[in-house]
Amino acid sequence: MEQNAKGRLFNTQKLLAPAALVILYIFFALFGKNFFSTYTGKTILESAYFIGFMAFGVTFVIITGGIDLSIGTVMMCSSLVGGVAFSMWGWPLWLALFLVPITGCVFGIANGFLVAKLKLPPFIATLGTMLVAQGFSSIISRVQTQRYPTIGSANAWFKSVFYRAGNFPIGAVYLIGAFLIALFILNKTRLGRYTFAVGSNLEAARLSGVRTDKWLIIVYSICGLFAGFAGIFYAAVYTTVIPGTGNGQELNAIAGVVIGGTSMTGGSGTMVGTLIGVFIMATLKTGLASMGLQSHWQTFITGFVVIGAVLLDNARNKASEKAKVKRVSAVKGAPKLENQA
Amino acid sequence: MKKFLSITLALVIVLGCVAMATADGMYISVISKGEQHQFWQTVRSGCEAAAADYGVEMYYYGPPSESDIALQVEALKAEMAKEPAALALAALSTDSVMTELQECIDKSIPVIGFDSGVPNAPEGAIYATASTNNQNAGGLAAEEFFKMDDFAAAVTAATAENPVVIGVLSQDATSESVTGRTTGFVNKAVELGSAYGVVSVEGHDLWAAPAEGASIIVKVEISATTNQTDVTNSANALLNTDGLIAIFCSNEGTVNGLLAATADGTELADGARFGDLIVGGFDAGATQKNAVRNGWFAGSVTQDPYNIGYLAVELAYKAAMGEEVADVDTGAKWYTAENMDDEGIANLLYD
Repeated sequence: MEQNAKGRLFNTQKLLAPAALVILYIFFALFGKNFFSTYTGKTILESAYFIGFMAFGVTFVIITGGIDLSIGTVMMCSSLVGGVAFSMWGWPLWLALFLVPITGCVFGIANGFLVAKLKLPPFIATLGTMLVAQGFSSIISRVQTQRYPTIGSANAWFKSVFYRAGNFPIGAVYLIGAFLIALFILNKTRLGRYTFAVGSNLEAARLSGVRTDKWLIIVYSICGLFAGFAGIFYAAVYTTVIPGTGNGQELNAIAGVVIGGTSMTGGSGTMVGTLIGVFIMATLKTGLASMGLQSHWQTFITGFVVIGAVLLDNARNKASEKAKVKRVSAVKGAPKLENQA
Repeated sequence: MKKFLSITLALVIVLGCVAMATADGMYISVISKGEQHQFWQTVRSGCEAAAADYGVEMYYYGPPSESDIALQVEALKAEMAKEPAALALAALSTDSVMTELQECIDKSIPVIGFDSGVPNAPEGAIYATASTNNQNAGGLAAEEFFKMDDFAAAVTAATAENPVVIGVLSQDATSESVTGRTTGFVNKAVELGSAYGVVSVEGHDLWAAPAEGASIIVKVEISATTNQTDVTNSANALLNTDGLIAIFCSNEGTVNGLLAATADGTELADGARFGDLIVGGFDAGATQKNAVRNGWFAGSVTQDPYNIGYLAVELAYKAAMGEEVADVDTGAKWYTAENMDDEGIANLLYD
């Protein structure tokens, strides 16, 4: 009987985010103008690319109990560095594109070093790199907006490889690919296990022999790397990258992660949840526009969604604590139960 | 929990009803570059007037700032999903909307450019453009500077040892309109200045053309971003330049930046710290008009934002009806404390 109740609780929690996504979609399909169309579907997908990449990366960081506020400006900065290499230094485009994730990764390593070795609070450390990346992007580009090749120009392969192959939204393939890689790392590798371990209890993890410094640096560099890749897809979808921008984009990604059920206190979270959270953010953006509500309304409403998601997170934590207490008392009564679970 | 859900649901239903309460009929989307300045508010009222005159349903979008290219692209995509009869577009960056413009061609949606328009758009996408010729408008400011006695005297007295500096304050060289005005001003200043001595252009790479032994230096200052704080910083940098005699601000954003750097313009008053500085602005927001009226600014260039908005929707309507449409130059005028109440100027200075 009690097992049943526990099972139901577990399922409702898991289904909440996907259910919200479906309800949101149906709502906009009913009330938005021409929302229910393949064209809009594609728009949602395409606005999810860069948020998705950032969100997958920052999921690792949030599970360790940290935060990375720098991903928004790091994404733009990486994108700008690639653009500068291509248009100002005359590099071939493919080589310049390699530089984009590398730049992101360098910022990630810096974040990891600041947090793990210098023991800065992640909030402060990444706030610092956020500004560094923002300033650096203006410096290296000499405040000139960078433009990536468009469809029909020289190097148009950039668009057909990363954005649309004919009419097919090819970026989605990379998004899914990145998702599967992130899913694998988080659930099937040592890195994934240590990510959870560090987030649940850093001290316990360290005392049990985990080199937490090393793994934290790796987690932050992965986050930076993903932010770098986000830069490629930002450029693929939006073409023009302006120096000194990117501020605030990290919040779209972090909101997606939180909505997806990853706890801000660390130690728990799923990549599937993040993927759904990202699509909730993208659907919200596109859907509100289809109802004729402008971007400031989108920002306004997104704020409420984030607050709602965190409240939900709190409620969930309380519920699981209650369940834990119950389980403990059940274990006392019937010692074999733990093995069964 | 239940309460939270029901409140959310209620909110959502109210929003839905708001969105549903729109009439059928021809639907025209207007995607502008912003709503933040009064200039854009006036464009919007022009659009609304035309929409009312022609009986079309019009949706007006403006991104929160002129750096928000991604938001504008997303708004454009969202509007295209609504299958409008025609689109009026002031692109923040043409490159970013290439794919969408191509789709407009494929779907035969007529696109009308307005304000800065959609330069370098694919062939056949833009049916017509309603805009100010920005190079001429920027050049107009330079011409007016050289007509002023104080300015001409300063330029005449300048030597290679004691050069005078003419400043140009612009925001990031992204938008074609700001770039056009800057180029127009710089070219005109070089052309007119050459009659007085050697002219050197310094500052941003795009315009720099250094010359040896110059007695007149045109200095182009580009702010790091379009944020007010950065524009103000650039204005301060320019104000600290030795030999500065004049500044041209190429849009309302930079005008506001300069005003912020000079204690809301009071330091530009006669006898104040920058009392001798000749300042020319662009556009006609309330603070800027105030600066002109008080004589803090020598004058400003005004476009005709109302007309830009009105003509954009009118052209969009005509294009949707299958009529032939052609580009319209909406014009620019120089206004000063003396003429700003004259008929013909006053009605260009919308708040």
